[in-house]
Amino acid sequence: MPELLRIKNLRVAFTVGKNTVQAVDWLNLTLEEGVTTVLAGESGSGKSVTCLAVTKLLPENALVGPESQIIFENKNLLALSPHELTDIRGKKIAYVFQEPSSFLNPVFSIGDQISETVMLHQQVTRKKAEEETLQLLSLVRIKEARRVMHSYPHQLSGGMNQRVFLAMSLACKPRLLIADEPTTALDVTTESAILALLMELKKTLGFTLLFITHNLSIAVRIADRICIMHRGAIVEDNTVDAIFASPHHTHTQELIAAYKTIGSL
Amino acid sequence: MNKSLLTGILIISVIGLAALCAPVLTPHDPSNIDSNHILMGPSPEHPLGTDGLGRDLLSRLLYGARISLSVGLIAVGISTLLGITLGALAGYYGGILDTCIMRFVDIMLCFPTFFLILGVVAVLDQSLFNIMFIIGLTSWMGTARLMRGEILSLKEREFVQAAVAIGASPSRIIIRHLIPNATGPVLVNATLGIASAILIESSLSFLGLGVQPPTPSWGNILIESKSTMAVAWWITLFPGLAILTTIMAFNFLAEGLKKS
Repeated sequence: MPELLRIKNLRVAFTVGKNTVQAVDWLNLTLEEGVTTVLAGESGSGKSVTCLAVTKLLPENALVGPESQIIFENKNLLALSPHELTDIRGKKIAYVFQEPSSFLNPVFSIGDQISETVMLHQQVTRKKAEEETLQLLSLVRIKEARRVMHSYPHQLSGGMNQRVFLAMSLACKPRLLIADEPTTALDVTTESAILALLMELKKTLGFTLLFITHNLSIAVRIADRICIMHRGAIVEDNTVDAIFASPHHTHTQELIAAYKTIGSL
Repeated sequence: MNKSLLTGILIISVIGLAALCAPVLTPHDPSNIDSNHILMGPSPEHPLGTDGLGRDLLSRLLYGARISLSVGLIAVGISTLLGITLGALAGYYGGILDTCIMRFVDIMLCFPTFFLILGVVAVLDQSLFNIMFIIGLTSWMGTARLMRGEILSLKEREFVQAAVAIGASPSRIIIRHLIPNATGPVLVNATLGIASAILIESSLSFLGLGVQPPTPSWGNILIESKSTMAVAWWITLFPGLAILTTIMAFNFLAEGLKKS
């Protein structure tokens, strides 16, 4: 499989007062086109920070190590200017976040938000963008797309909002979709539906998926490859079967043991 | 819709409509001098009486409302625009820009505004436009502070991060995502600002530095009544009431907006 994105020697530290906390420590990861990679690990292991670093979405107190590189389409994303980055964000690399309702702007209708994204990266008229919005909404399996277009985020359920956000992220047909625990805030049934939708869209649209979760049962369902993160680095990286058959790292063994305990309950 | 909001909107629309329909509501020209009808009390012909030059007071008040209301609206338009822009820039970018803008706000707030306006108006030409402009330029600081505070808390919200992740530029984030979310308190502030702009204009006119006669404004009608107050109470009472009612209405509106 051709390489899509390569994270080289990524180090991210946060300054909190006078202290620095090393959140990601010499992380290396290569994503291959079409392969669903799941980044799994406990809270605070640096999963989200790694993903946010890809298009420099980190908060202001984050320090990225000078030797870090993130190579995408032969460019080092970490060295791009803010202006060049806006061309990558949303258009080539898109995100789906954890809490869908708070990631949507409360004062704009769903239709406005999605068509804004469409118009941001494509030179189209408002009318054309609205047509595309309708298509996107039906793509993420929202019935009554017209009604939803005129609704506001607070009028929709969490699952609906996550579908809306997904539609927004996919508006420009990105090559890479980074999903940061997109189902954690949802109940189990909705989680299932969103995961199924995600896998279906991946097939039809052909994007590469990087999925973050702390939940191994999700990883098992969707992953081609699992990377286990621990204390800011990837400690084990293998196919799903191989990881479950012979976990090398003690942390992986612990995670799998925990997963099996929950599964047997 | 709460009570104060309703009262505010009702009174303001009545005054606004009356100002707009002035030629329909009164047959008299506001600057038509009639020496046969000087200082006449309220009568069917002149419902609010006439002034020392025999001009119909009702016409003068209605045409004066046009001036006073437009001074209020335009001055506040200028100050709100300035306040939103500077406040949003300071709040979003922070750092040196924030420090510069906010210290400038502090400096501006140190001036006793009314005397600053008096000074400037005394030097410049006292045209209506200059008065609106000066009131606007000296009253944007509150809005800027308010806006900065709103932006500071809004920019940490997740939907802003989402907008960045989708590829929106900083200017787009400020204009499309941050400012629309901060309009509530700014709107309340602007409504109060209209009331104070009308009051400033009236005070300036009262001191003879505002709108120049024969153009009627509530303030300059009031000052002309000063010399005849003992014999013609109506010339003092009605413009005073007009100012009072309008300012109260805008305060009601602001309070109503704050509650809703």
